Amino acid sequence: MKKPHYNSKFTRKQFIVLIVCISTGFIIGYSYKLTKDEVKVNTSYLEQEESYREELISQQERNKELTEELTALQTKRREYEKNFAENEEDYGHLLEEAENLRLLLGEIPAHGEGIRVTLKDGEYNPNSTNPNEYIVHESHVFSVINELKVSGAEAISINGQRLKSNSYIRCNGPVITIDGNQYPAPFIIEAVGDVDTLIPALKLVGGVFDQLLNDRIVVTIEESDFIQMPTINDE
Amino acid sequence: MWLPFLGLLLGLAFGLLTDIQIPVVYESYLSIAVLAALDTIFGGIRANLQQVYDDKVFLTGFFFNIALAAGLAFLGVHLGVDLYLAAIFAFGVRLFQNIAVIRRILITKWEERHIKKGENTV
Repeated sequence: MKKPHYNSKFTRKQFIVLIVCISTGFIIGYSYKLTKDEVKVNTSYLEQEESYREELISQQERNKELTEELTALQTKRREYEKNFAENEEDYGHLLEEAENLRLLLGEIPAHGEGIRVTLKDGEYNPNSTNPNEYIVHESHVFSVINELKVSGAEAISINGQRLKSNSYIRCNGPVITIDGNQYPAPFIIEAVGDVDTLIPALKLVGGVFDQLLNDRIVVTIEESDFIQMPTINDE
Repeated sequence: MWLPFLGLLLGLAFGLLTDIQIPVVYESYLSIAVLAALDTIFGGIRANLQQVYDDKVFLTGFFFNIALAAGLAFLGVHLGVDLYLAAIFAFGVRLFQNIAVIRRILITKWEERHIKKGENTV
């Protein structure tokens, strides 16, 4: 009678203690596990954040470096462009000048509008005993050529022979020797250039035209829309 | 004597092996529940040592304390006042008091036994 009662009371007490202990253990274990997970998550999260931050900082630094580099390169490029523009301008000028010089030298064929001056010996004058008075001398040719050159003729040829910068013209009796080639009268002097400049230059009062007429030389000046001239090498 | 420890170990294993996920918001309640449970356990041990142990008081105290602490924390969260601090303070103080009482009782018992032993030997 006493034993079962004691037993049941003991079991009940034990049972309650067991339940409470299990509950407590469960709560403690569970919270421990949760905290551990949380800490793990937190630390990993923190580490991740840290690494991201470092990455971000390094990226920003890289960005800064690159921006500086970009600025430097842009400045450099601007300088280059400026230089280039100047050079180009210079180069254009030089090219133009070179072209003009080549034209003058006769290294390239000249063509364009120009004039044609024909010098013929004067009519035979029986009253005159000196034929020098009415034939064309090299001085006449010189004066015409000089006048044409001064007036800006790009290229000049005599009887189809292009004049070089170092051409020589010699009077050799009734013929003129140009660079070793002899040409008889009439002399056809062709010049490529601005017609509106060349013709007035020749026809200046007291100028070349008048002098030639004075020397009783038959001069004809005609303007031509297109004159083709070979190079000095095309002989 | 081994039963409470067995229960504790069982509960610990059970808790460690559970894979239930609860919202982060309710995790603060768990700490209070731990405190309440420890308080009740030590209270029980003290009561047992003082021979005033009662099943009903122990069991109801265990669940009621946990429920009260959780309810206080819940109220605190919703009122914006840290009321769970009150629960932690109360349980903490009681935990230390209980442990102190247990210690004194154990010391007294040990001294009594020591004296008895001494009397026996002498």
